[in-house]
Amino acid sequence: MKKLIYRLGLLLFVVSPVWLRAQDADQSLQVQSTLDQQLAQVPQELQPDDNKPGLSRFLLRGYAHSGLEVTDEEFSFVGGSFNPILVFRQSDRLLFESELEFEFEDGELEIGLEYADMSYILTKGLTLRVGKFLTPFGKFIPDLHPAWINKFPTKPLGAGHDGILPTADIGAELRGGAYLGNMKTNYSFYVVNGPQLNDGSVDAEEGGMLHYGLFPDNSKQKSFGTRIGIFPFSNSSLELGFSAQTGKVGAKETKYEDVGATLYGVDLSFVKNVTGLSSVIDLKGQYAVAQVDDVEYPEPENPTETHTFDNKSTAWFAQLSIRPAFVDSKLIQNLELAGRYSSFKTPEGAPWEVDQSQFEIGLNYWIDWRTVFKFSYRAISGGEEDHHGGEEAEEGMTNAFFIHWAIGF
Amino acid sequence: MKKYSVLIAVFAVVLAAVFITSCATTSEVSAAKSGAQLWGENCLRCHNTPSPATFSDPEWDAAVLHMRVRANLTDDEAVKVAEFLKSAN
Repeated sequence: MKKLIYRLGLLLFVVSPVWLRAQDADQSLQVQSTLDQQLAQVPQELQPDDNKPGLSRFLLRGYAHSGLEVTDEEFSFVGGSFNPILVFRQSDRLLFESELEFEFEDGELEIGLEYADMSYILTKGLTLRVGKFLTPFGKFIPDLHPAWINKFPTKPLGAGHDGILPTADIGAELRGGAYLGNMKTNYSFYVVNGPQLNDGSVDAEEGGMLHYGLFPDNSKQKSFGTRIGIFPFSNSSLELGFSAQTGKVGAKETKYEDVGATLYGVDLSFVKNVTGLSSVIDLKGQYAVAQVDDVEYPEPENPTETHTFDNKSTAWFAQLSIRPAFVDSKLIQNLELAGRYSSFKTPEGAPWEVDQSQFEIGLNYWIDWRTVFKFSYRAISGGEEDHHGGEEAEEGMTNAFFIHWAIGF
Repeated sequence: MKKYSVLIAVFAVVLAAVFITSCATTSEVSAAKSGAQLWGENCLRCHNTPSPATFSDPEWDAAVLHMRVRANLTDDEAVKVAEFLKSAN
């Protein structure tokens, strides 16, 4: 008898929450039904709109990456970075976007604003963009630099924040795409504050260098630039780009105020599914030149004297990757083999003279379309001229093995 | 001379804008392409293609407008790509 009472009690203990939950569910359905009926009676213009600003027109995207670097002298975790991209579609024509960067570097948190701009669709093929935007010069910075897109944990020499090429600037831009007959083209025309010339008055070691993205502008002169892209093949697999930018770069009311700088470059992108290889091949390349007018700068070892040099810098890279995306093996589908060679030369005779090349080879494993593990090796040759008859490698630029992960979200 | 340079630059930009506006935003080739094909061709140039099931319709609207500006898509291309991506929802 005791056993029967015990079993009935146990059964009641188990069944009662289910029964009560079923009762709750019935009540919830009744409430929901009542609400739906009441909502149907509300005038259409007062009903909730899924597209209300702040709810669905806002998109939080971005990327993050981190990794491990192994050199002869170092074995450390590096490159912790989190880059949220905020996108807000105000209307079919108006878009706001910005990218922040939170990076842990040299033991400190660095916060940066990569870009923050507003785009307005003027016509079907023309968009006005104003604010701080990625300078549409070449291919790597505007399109390929995010960690989950870049095939390597590093950047090609000469590109990036310490290179000779523009990264982001403040100004206005007209951009878009159109067809000339059956050939697709894209274009950008922009005016920006432009780079600023380091005249060597504060640090003679940097006399003649161009600095990008500084604010406020050092003069009333602006830089004008363009990039034109053409797609010769109807399947858009090949893109050829031509970039140029020119403007005065010296500070106003100094002897450098009329010094100009002209940048020009070509770039290439070829992406194709090769059936015979069951793979996607991706070829990228870029060649760029920065030429500053000849002018005299203070001599580093004796600033009362001056010196000059042909202020011309070049940077180029070529990159090839292959991913056997169409083979049967899931494991091999997700592998990607990549190689990249880049070269960087700054003016001969300049205190900041560099003649460097870098070769990288890597094997990437894609967890999904936006998450990748990168295993790569970087070999550096050449370096900074020390002007005492030898060469020394730039700090932090040595042969290294990297294991990185990156995710676009 | 500086003022003339600025005027010439402004004139060149306006001229370019007028020329671009007169260009077609579609062609026989692009008109024959599906949204899926345009999605593959344009996204893959820089990064792997996301699954259409990744976002909701309003999120795709924001993402496609973002990429329309970034990748210099024409209006017709953007409309087709958005329709394809939203077809999964």
